[in-house]
Amino acid sequence: MSSVIEAEKLNFAYLRVPVLEEISFTADAGDYVGIIGPNGGGKTTLLKLLLGLEQGRGKIKLFGQPLAQFKDWNKIGYLAQKSPVSQSRFPVSAEEVVLMGLSDRHGSGVSLSELKQVHEAMQKTRTREYAGRIFHDLSIGQQQRVLLARALVSNPELLILDEPSTALDPESREMFFNLLGELNTRHGVTILLITHDTGEVGKYISKFMYIDKTLVFYGTKEEFCHSQAVADKLGSFAQHTIDHLHNHGHCPLGCSCGGTQK
Amino acid sequence: MISEFLSYGFVQRGLLAGSLVAASCALLGVFLVLKRLSLIGDGMSHVCLTGVAAALLLSANPVYVSVPVVAAASLGIMKLTQKFRIYGDAAIGIVSAAGLSIGLLITALAGGFNTDLLGYLFGSILTVSKDEAVLCGVLLAVVLGGLFFFYRDLTSACFDEPFARTRGIAVQTVNTVLIIVTSIAVVLAFKVVGIFLISALIIIPPVSALLVSRTFKQVLWLAACFGVSGVWVGVYFSFVFNIPSGASIILVNLLVLAGAYVWARLGGIGHAR
Repeated sequence: MSSVIEAEKLNFAYLRVPVLEEISFTADAGDYVGIIGPNGGGKTTLLKLLLGLEQGRGKIKLFGQPLAQFKDWNKIGYLAQKSPVSQSRFPVSAEEVVLMGLSDRHGSGVSLSELKQVHEAMQKTRTREYAGRIFHDLSIGQQQRVLLARALVSNPELLILDEPSTALDPESREMFFNLLGELNTRHGVTILLITHDTGEVGKYISKFMYIDKTLVFYGTKEEFCHSQAVADKLGSFAQHTIDHLHNHGHCPLGCSCGGTQK
Repeated sequence: MISEFLSYGFVQRGLLAGSLVAASCALLGVFLVLKRLSLIGDGMSHVCLTGVAAALLLSANPVYVSVPVVAAASLGIMKLTQKFRIYGDAAIGIVSAAGLSIGLLITALAGGFNTDLLGYLFGSILTVSKDEAVLCGVLLAVVLGGLFFFYRDLTSACFDEPFARTRGIAVQTVNTVLIIVTSIAVVLAFKVVGIFLISALIIIPPVSALLVSRTFKQVLWLAACFGVSGVWVGVYFSFVFNIPSGASIILVNLLVLAGAYVWARLGGIGHAR
């Protein structure tokens, strides 16, 4: 199985305070990785490092290419935790925002194939009905779905999502996670997802990554449920997570632990 | 009276140069306003004083001396915000104060420049030379060319900078080019409205356009139209009422802004800010 992301000894410090230390992992094609950890644990910073939005130490390869030489950005879709556009009053339509997800052309013209891609992405995220509306006139939840369409419009092979469901209502959240699950299972899209909805997305996720400055755990959800390292490290956060995972006497992650802890 | 007004060569040259530079400032201003960097024009205009004072001291052309000075200062603002993580408005304030104080220092050391400097402070559109008018034309061509060929890169970088970087857009280069072209526009604009009022040409037409537009392309067109019409009507009023052209141009722009606000309130079609 080919590696989509190879991270080796990633380190990042902000004003000399370590944020991430010695993070190494590999994500293979088709992986659906749920990234969890406490606030301030470095989850968002890790994603930013992978995308080149922050500069740290260590080696990163995307689709086998070193990050500095990587040019095929249409292969990657990104949705930020708190996009600067949520407060922007930029007069662009939802459709134009989605178009920004395509990076092949630079001028103002739009080709028919691009429009088709935009409409398909908006169809998937159920945003087609307000394609012509001004982006900042939409509700935060609607904006988030448009931004998801922007992340999907290039038909990416890798989706990097930072707590994308926080602004969504329950119905949209379910649609959102079902869509991600379908993209992963049917189309083989690799997904890295920071989330606190461990219970909700557990049925789709194939691997868990627990980050708290260092990489505490990285493995399958079955291994996660039985990991002593996780149990030792998590402390109070563990209880919250475990409660999520084992409510109603069964493991919602769908692993074979049967809803019981080791 | 209008035909008489337009019959003078210096008026024609002033109107042409003023229109070209006003359109450039307005188009660049749209991006600066949306990136919340509109006050960078104000900072640059203060730095212009250093360039103008140095040029007058050296008996050189103020435009040629001011362009590198202002471009360096604006790049300094960018470095302050990026490398030292100083807020943008604070960085503009620092560079602006430095530019103004160095300009005043040079003026004082040279024993004052009297009317020459006052002309640059308050603008004298009717003294624009042929070379300066050509430069204004080149500037607008560069701005329009940049918009045509890099429209998506510019809009994406202004709308959501981190995302634009994940599309492979060289956001840093886009910002640097935007700032340097703005520096040139600011320097060319000080003949039109004067150092004190340059930032108004960058801020007011885009804000008026944003109030009454539904699309981004509409904003660009309207901002340029408002900027150009402000110059024409402002210079005409200046001629008719014998008032300073720079102040007249900006007051016309303010009237347009007030009209745009009323239009947006009544029609409810814009995006009042």
